Amino acid sequence: MIDISQLSKRFSQGRGRKARVVQAVDEVSFTAADGCITGLLGPNGAGKTTTLRMVAALLPPDGGHIRVDGIDVATQPQAALARMGVLSDARGLSPRLTARENIVYYGRLHGMTRAAANARCDSLAAMLDMWPLLERRAEGFSQGERMKTALARALIHDPPNIILDEPTNGLDVLATRALRQALRVLRDEHGKCIVFSSHIMQEVERLCDQVVVVSHGRTVARGTVPELLARTGQADFEEAFVDLAFTRQERGAALANAGAVAGVAR
Amino acid sequence: MNAGANAGANVGAKVGANVGAKVGVRGGLLQRAWTVYTKELMDALRDRRTLLVVLLSSVALGPLLLVLISQLVAGVEKRAEARVIVVQGIEHAPSLRNYLERQTYTIRTAPAGFEQQLRDSKLGDPVLVVPPSFQAELARGEVPVVELLSSSGNQRAQGAANRVLRLLRGFNQEQATLRLAVRGVAPAALEAMQVDERDLADPGSRAAQLSTMVPFLVMMAVLYGALNAALDTTAGERERGSLEPLLMNPAPRWALVLGKWGAVASVAMLIAVLSCLSFLPGQWVVRSETVAALFQFGLHEALWFIALLIPLAGALSAVLMAIAIRCKSFKEAQANATVVILGVSLLPLVTLLNQEGTAAWHLWVPALAQSTLMGRVLKGEALASADVVLTAAVCAVLTVLALAYVARTLHSAALK
Repeated sequence: MIDISQLSKRFSQGRGRKARVVQAVDEVSFTAADGCITGLLGPNGAGKTTTLRMVAALLPPDGGHIRVDGIDVATQPQAALARMGVLSDARGLSPRLTARENIVYYGRLHGMTRAAANARCDSLAAMLDMWPLLERRAEGFSQGERMKTALARALIHDPPNIILDEPTNGLDVLATRALRQALRVLRDEHGKCIVFSSHIMQEVERLCDQVVVVSHGRTVARGTVPELLARTGQADFEEAFVDLAFTRQERGAALANAGAVAGVAR
Repeated sequence: MNAGANAGANVGAKVGANVGAKVGVRGGLLQRAWTVYTKELMDALRDRRTLLVVLLSSVALGPLLLVLISQLVAGVEKRAEARVIVVQGIEHAPSLRNYLERQTYTIRTAPAGFEQQLRDSKLGDPVLVVPPSFQAELARGEVPVVELLSSSGNQRAQGAANRVLRLLRGFNQEQATLRLAVRGVAPAALEAMQVDERDLADPGSRAAQLSTMVPFLVMMAVLYGALNAALDTTAGERERGSLEPLLMNPAPRWALVLGKWGAVASVAMLIAVLSCLSFLPGQWVVRSETVAALFQFGLHEALWFIALLIPLAGALSAVLMAIAIRCKSFKEAQANATVVILGVSLLPLVTLLNQEGTAAWHLWVPALAQSTLMGRVLKGEALASADVVLTAAVCAVLTVLALAYVARTLHSAALK
């Protein structure tokens, strides 16, 4: 279970007179339960990646708390990381190592024995359907193969909590479906707590039990997909998301822009 | 870390028999560092093409250099042994010819256009030009003028010119002695003293003149050996996007830094050992007694070189990593690493430019200290153990500082 309360993060951009402070995350709070897929939905630049980086102890928060299975990330980052598997936006593999070596390496860093890591790698390969990849070098992997390897690498220590930052970026339909299937198995058969960030509503709508809508660094809505639809009075989830995530001004400006573009095209 | 394991165990009870509790955060810094080390080393060793180029160039260094030196020496020897003098117009000077032949010199007539050949360094001997009136002037007791042509741009001819001058001085002296003897003056009246030349430099220090470039070349081999691995494990990792996932492991960052540095330093040290040892078989290949006398590089010298180079290899690896961790791409890191390469190649020049010899501060500067001490080893001087310890300690401090910087920068580097 991941419990986030009042999480805040500021960045300062530029130097000297041009310096300005950007509030990337502003008191975000939500709870992701075990056996449940929680979707973090928000437009680009809403603060999703920053939030997840703070959960993964990569960035220190300016305010608020993150607890992973009751462990405070700020004070015990290593204990918290041992209970998390994170698939971040950066999914680089060592190109000269095989998929198996890439995966087992992380298991060893988690303190597993070589035998245990290899056995776990085999079972992950079965789940993610990546047997043919295992003994190949990561050089020249496709986006889908890369994602599978990176996911297996993040799950090598069988973490109870799984965090995925925009996992479907750059994947084709089949790879996306395979990933969705894997996440369902992890939720239903293993009872994992899964947090999943995305800016694509269809993804979130298909997969998530609970949705947290983030915009401008704030949590603007929380609930299941039907709850959010009911709250906005929309039948279409995309419309509901636009209603929730953007201010009226932003929507107006976007429409005006589109009109201008259409005018130029004409 | 213990507290973390306890908390993990407490929650583990709630989650049930979870692997998380079994895995935990057990295993110390060293075990994690070892994991990183073996992975990075395997990664570096699989980069066959780069490794092959670096290894070949470092192993070929010794034999290649020895072949060059031996060719240089053989050329000098050949000319010294040949006892040849190139003269134009020797037919005008029978008495000079007589003298030269008595000195067992072979007289060769100057080729046509010798002035241009001398200028172009095509002719390796200076040319003596004898005027047609030579013999007549000599007989009249006048002073004929001969010209010795060489070019200061032509090093071979310039080197041989001294030998010819000495030979001609011998002719002058003989003529003078004969004239005085005719007038009944003892030759000793002319010569107040006799000068004997003796070269005090022993073979060892003559060798040092020739082989000053050896420490420099060996250091460059070590630097280039470390360069690729150091950049790949920092800037390369950043560029691939594999640094951020790496930091999401519950491994202390010092374990990551130590493991990475260990792998880079191992490669650099391997290169150091190989390039030093390559001079040993190189000497068997080059069978010149003069080279053997000039360049005394046995197992003893090789071991001293290795002992001096290993701390330097560690320090250079750490410094390169510290520079590269700030760079977003491998290419940017290569551009930045030029500063280190320039430093290591220029610092040894301080000893050449500084006419006052070795100053105390030279031993406090990495690379300069090593090249100074390696120079002493080549000269056959004994090294003071305090000096060796000092240079190693400076390298160790530099290593620790650079690695501390890498550890501190690792997180912010992963995110940008």
